[in-house]
Amino acid sequence: MGKRQRLAALVTALLLLPVLFASARGTQEPPGEIVINIASGAVGTEYERLLEQAERYMADHPDIKIEALSTPDLATDRLGLYLQFFEAMSPDLDVYMIDVIWPGDLAEHFVDLYEYGAEAQAKEHFPAILQNNTVDGKLVGMPWFTDAGLLYYRTDLLDKYAYGGPPATWADLEAMAAKIQAGERAANPDFWGFVWQGNAYEGLTCDALEWIFSNGGGTIVSPDRKITINNRFAIEAVDTAARWVGAISPPGVTGFGEEDARNMWQAGNAAFMRNWPYAYRLGNADDSAIKDKFDVTPLPAGRSGHGAATLGGWQLGVSTYSTHPKEAAEFALWLTSAPEQKYKAVKDSNNPTFMSLYDDPEIEAASPFMVKLYDVFINAVARPSTATAPKYNETSVLFFTAVHNVLTGKLDGRTAMEELELDLQDLLGYPVGQP
Amino acid sequence: MTRSTELVKHEARLAYLLLLPSFIILIVIAFYPLASVFVNSFTDKEFASARAVNFVGLENYGRLLGLTVKPLPPLTDPASGQIQRDPASGEPLYERPVKVLPREPRRYKELRQFNLLGSRYVLGASDRNFIRGMADTLAFTLLSVLLETFLGLIIALVLHSRFKGRGLMRAMMLVPWAVPTAVSSRMWAWMFASTRIGFVNVLFQNLGLGDGQIAFITEEAWQLWVMVAIDVWKTTPFMALLLLAGLQLIPEQMYEAANVDGAGKIRQFWNLTLPLLRPTLAIALVFRTLDALRVFDVFQIVLAQKRYSVASFIYYQLIDNQAAGYSSAASVIIFFLIFLFAVLYIRVIGGVQNEE
Repeated sequence: MGKRQRLAALVTALLLLPVLFASARGTQEPPGEIVINIASGAVGTEYERLLEQAERYMADHPDIKIEALSTPDLATDRLGLYLQFFEAMSPDLDVYMIDVIWPGDLAEHFVDLYEYGAEAQAKEHFPAILQNNTVDGKLVGMPWFTDAGLLYYRTDLLDKYAYGGPPATWADLEAMAAKIQAGERAANPDFWGFVWQGNAYEGLTCDALEWIFSNGGGTIVSPDRKITINNRFAIEAVDTAARWVGAISPPGVTGFGEEDARNMWQAGNAAFMRNWPYAYRLGNADDSAIKDKFDVTPLPAGRSGHGAATLGGWQLGVSTYSTHPKEAAEFALWLTSAPEQKYKAVKDSNNPTFMSLYDDPEIEAASPFMVKLYDVFINAVARPSTATAPKYNETSVLFFTAVHNVLTGKLDGRTAMEELELDLQDLLGYPVGQP
Repeated sequence: MTRSTELVKHEARLAYLLLLPSFIILIVIAFYPLASVFVNSFTDKEFASARAVNFVGLENYGRLLGLTVKPLPPLTDPASGQIQRDPASGEPLYERPVKVLPREPRRYKELRQFNLLGSRYVLGASDRNFIRGMADTLAFTLLSVLLETFLGLIIALVLHSRFKGRGLMRAMMLVPWAVPTAVSSRMWAWMFASTRIGFVNVLFQNLGLGDGQIAFITEEAWQLWVMVAIDVWKTTPFMALLLLAGLQLIPEQMYEAANVDGAGKIRQFWNLTLPLLRPTLAIALVFRTLDALRVFDVFQIVLAQKRYSVASFIYYQLIDNQAAGYSSAASVIIFFLIFLFAVLYIRVIGGVQNEE
């Protein structure tokens, strides 16, 4: 071999050397230490809380290291991140925080927690949530906390404008919000009556389902697989909400997520807010402008005579691609155990999923509404994720896009729901029915 | 003679050997994924799922690009046979498009209604979001490239002249380009917030242009301009830099000669600077147009699913609908569109060079 060829061979070898290193497995695990990676949210104080809990777990289990990955706020973005891990069948994440609507669509990527000792704990959770998380007998996710939409209202403003109590119907809400807004605008030009989540994402599906179900318009697709969305009560509910935009809600409410609404509410610039329970604790923090000036109540009723609250909540699942499923399952079961759920309930007003915890005096002292609104939580209306599995996501995108078009004025309610019905028929192949 | 051909062959072999690692990396990183996208576009593959994959031929393309035009008959009163009219404006009322547009084999949705020779027609698309995304992306490209070139040229001309602190200005000019798009889009989204939390709203209110409640990001009329504004802010420095390099290639003597001949500044710019800048301008335009056609980050971060560009449409098809085959087909379509633009531009640059 000539000198030139030797040089060429050496250069080639040097250039390919990094490839060898790249193929070695990521971080070197010191022998005996197991690293469990958990994907967590960062809404409110979620992430900090998880790190605290992880510290305590690691203190008790010296051979395990927990690393938490913070994921995007919007559920749609978070799903996008998870799907990339699943497509790559990546062992990089062991425990996932999954939304209540994902077990149906994502069941194939999670282990059956019943095989890892979930049986004992399982029966103490709310049966409806457990059933939601069980796909073909396989427990895809252990319930971590449950959520239901609530109406937050300013007690001081209701007193100031001589209202006896929070509104019982949507019409009442509209009237009260308009009056309070008109009165407060003189002193505060940034004040609006009612803030909620109107952006084109899963959160809008939650809000819109509440308007529609409380008006007797059904749940988009009924549990017995009929498309029920195109009825006059649903159309009326969505048209009503479209009226609020620009009148009692800011025109930009069609771009609001949970945190945008909460920021406006917590700064004292709204009379009413629809949001999840997590905002309760944050609203009473020392740096909040509305500390001790608000309370929560079930959402108003429509034609059906009762209010509706969309069932939310998050579960913890263990990935089938994890290299330490047993340890990951143990950590997931520890996080979802009663003492840890109580900790989160007291610190972050996250609703526990253990029925027994609703009698706990400490939880009652920290967040009295949790015990007071127990009925709301156990009667929450679920999104049709089971009826439309495995195409719930597409269904939801079609639904929230249609509702968003009505809210922004691009379409009227009748055309939007009609087209939505046709779209859902194409997508799901289900028959049309009455709610 | 033989010795030199042997030397040439020897050098050629060495060249191939040295290029081998680059070729391997290129094939793995570029060609394999590209080929895989092409293949997937003819299937109904699902993302992150173990479901069976079926070959569907050109079905995905048909669904993405399906367009149809159908006439809309006017509504007639069944009793009298007269055309119904809107009582307020006197305009005739037409049949609703959802009843006229075909539903088999694919459902077409209303895109636009228009009048032609006294009759009304409706343009229907089988994937309305894709067609709208294409139109929005093309409009975005046109507006942002025009503005960036114009402003970039002005900045380059200013920075080309001699003044104190020129070096510092040239460095500072690059700051918007250096900030990662994810960060600057988020920052701009907050600045364009729909209430008086947003800087732009407060600015407009103080200038008397609004009431402080303009929802820039959710109102259709404003959305594209917001996108253009963010992109122009970020990319004008890049254009200015390229054009500055082009300006510096023009020899000083030409300007001195023009001064001697008595040409004014504007005449010099028009007849001297611009023609000599054409090659650089063409290259800068190619870069920016192809980049703008691929725009993803600004649309995904600021508008998310309220309005799609082609690239963000592809992303959401992949993530929300887990439709890997369908989104691959959309990717192939935009690939060919960009390829077409690239070929057109190269023809234009080629034409310019031949003239020199």
